[in-house]
Amino acid sequence: MKLTLPPGLSPQGFDAAVTALQGAVGAGWVLTSDEDRDAYADIYAPGPETLWGASGAVAPGSVEEVQAVVRIANEHKLPLWTVARGKNLGYGTAAPRMPGCMVLDLGRMNRILELDPVLGYCVIEPGVGFFDLYERIQADKLPLMMSVPGNGWGSVLGNALDHGIGYTPYGLHAKNLCGLEVVLGTGDLVRTGLGAMSKNHAWNLFPFGYGPTWDLMFSQSNLGVVTKAGIWLMPEPETSLELNLDIPQAEDISWVVDTLTPLKLGGIIDQSIFIPSWLGKMVILGQRKDFWDRPGAIPDWRVAELLKEHDLGYWKVQIRLYGDENVNKAKAEVVKAAFRQHLDTPMQEVWWRKGDPTNIMDTTLGVPSAVPLQMGDWVGGKSAHLGFSPVVPATGRHVLSQLRRSRKIISDHDVDFYASFTIGGRFCNNVNMLMYDRDNAEQVARIKQLFNALIADAAAAGYAEYRTHLGWMDPIADTFDFNDHALRRMTEKVKDALDPNGILSPGKQGIWPSAYAAERGKALA
Amino acid sequence: MTCRAASGLASLLILAAVLSGCKVVNTDNQIANDQGPPGGPPALPPYPMRAQMAEGDRLHTAMDGAALFSNRCGACHLAGGMGTNLLTKQQMAVGRPPAMGLLTNREDLTADYVKAVTRMGKGAMPRQTRVDVTDAELDRIAAYLGKGK
Repeated sequence: MKLTLPPGLSPQGFDAAVTALQGAVGAGWVLTSDEDRDAYADIYAPGPETLWGASGAVAPGSVEEVQAVVRIANEHKLPLWTVARGKNLGYGTAAPRMPGCMVLDLGRMNRILELDPVLGYCVIEPGVGFFDLYERIQADKLPLMMSVPGNGWGSVLGNALDHGIGYTPYGLHAKNLCGLEVVLGTGDLVRTGLGAMSKNHAWNLFPFGYGPTWDLMFSQSNLGVVTKAGIWLMPEPETSLELNLDIPQAEDISWVVDTLTPLKLGGIIDQSIFIPSWLGKMVILGQRKDFWDRPGAIPDWRVAELLKEHDLGYWKVQIRLYGDENVNKAKAEVVKAAFRQHLDTPMQEVWWRKGDPTNIMDTTLGVPSAVPLQMGDWVGGKSAHLGFSPVVPATGRHVLSQLRRSRKIISDHDVDFYASFTIGGRFCNNVNMLMYDRDNAEQVARIKQLFNALIADAAAAGYAEYRTHLGWMDPIADTFDFNDHALRRMTEKVKDALDPNGILSPGKQGIWPSAYAAERGKALA
Repeated sequence: MTCRAASGLASLLILAAVLSGCKVVNTDNQIANDQGPPGGPPALPPYPMRAQMAEGDRLHTAMDGAALFSNRCGACHLAGGMGTNLLTKQQMAVGRPPAMGLLTNREDLTADYVKAVTRMGKGAMPRQTRVDVTDAELDRIAAYLGKGK
């Protein structure tokens, strides 16, 4: 990819900034070749990668180097786009919202600074991946169990900061953050919560501060660069019991959610409960053409045939209980009784006990895996996916309403329906996976149309997305319209105050600094 | 290692070929892991631990190609990984044995090809940045995997 300069920066100014960055982090860690720019592009870009093209990347190895990079960026007016490991697949990968930003790649900062099995927490840098932390816990034989997302290739902190979700009792990853160290837009360094006191012992244990609590202000945010943070980890349970049940019909999701939510809120089920539709199971069995070789969405009659042929339900309920064996047995009886009110089929039960082996895809037992990304192979070609992810109240009425509307819109656009609902508490994250072949221009155009239709429909019905791709960050921000977008106006005031030159991740989640306000609404998908 | 890996792969392929909706009641997980559930597909392989990165300057690495491959590429290219699974399907489609899904078993890769795919991507394989794998690391990985002429 050829060099795209950020707004207002001359080629000479860019060269001067690069020279200064080389002085700060070493020439080998400033990456500005055409090949480097390609490597930082969004491999799943819905449209030309150049829409979100970086000018290069800089990879500091320490907090001090991050501070130096931020100061140089201010001096040269070189905007940065911060990534932890840059594996935010489906949401833009490592690519910047505003073309020409220099990616601030924190992948080299990968130290596990503390790992405490007694109180169950770690303090880590942003470059620590799920695989890295998992292997360290295994190698040290620590009684801790991680919560991992569908794509385990990325960063533990990056995923938590972007509000990623997992499937254990610690599945709301942003809630596990406790105590952040942050480089601000001026290069200043702060620690949040009790970390504001030097050498405080409970920095990563007490979730509040003295006075206002700022931790989550740095999540899905361009208000600072998180350089280390505490993450809570679940003590490894003595046992775990998996209860599996195929749910026959699409609209059964209504009673399933109404059955599960009270169990979740009542403390019978602790985990974030993942309920994928049938396609989630089919995608690893083969490619789309193996099951339906015509263009357009797989018609309902063929879906019914496939479910029968492959002995699948429309939904798969996979509940996992964690803890003492007797408690799990008792909880299982409560869960089974609740489901028996609707379905006679017995639940499949699989026990795991401490010390038992796990397999490579045991994500609900905290084993990180990249295998779920195989779903891209479903459509073949240069496979990619986007996630349309509205948040809905965890009741059958709301879930069914969202399902009916999104299913119809997706079907009207001739795209296969692949949804999941994850009950995280009083709400569900409804992720609709939209898979496409990037080399097929017609498919890309259709997916974009579909995405826009889904956003408009959900907003009109009173539902918002929890996370989105670069190309929709502004349109989604526009849907948060209360009192003329009062929250965005407030955040942008904070942005300007903390980062006067607007050099940190301009446009992230629709928050634009004054310096680049003219870029709002540009480079949309 | 190759033998174990091949057996894990075979399990995966059978898993991919048969259906996943088997009904198992009160199956002990140890048995399930050792033998696979009765009447169902064989178990998935265990998580393969990667080699650890050595301390030191990654721009001038002193690590060997095998360890670098394990750590830098292992998230997808060890037994049961996403890359291995997809390559296994591709290799079988052209009549080659399933074990060829593991890059370490391949005799036909050249160092230049390994470097090109790493940097330029291919199919589901994303381009790797020079932070993911430095040029020095890639040289050693490519030399290790590149047994072809």
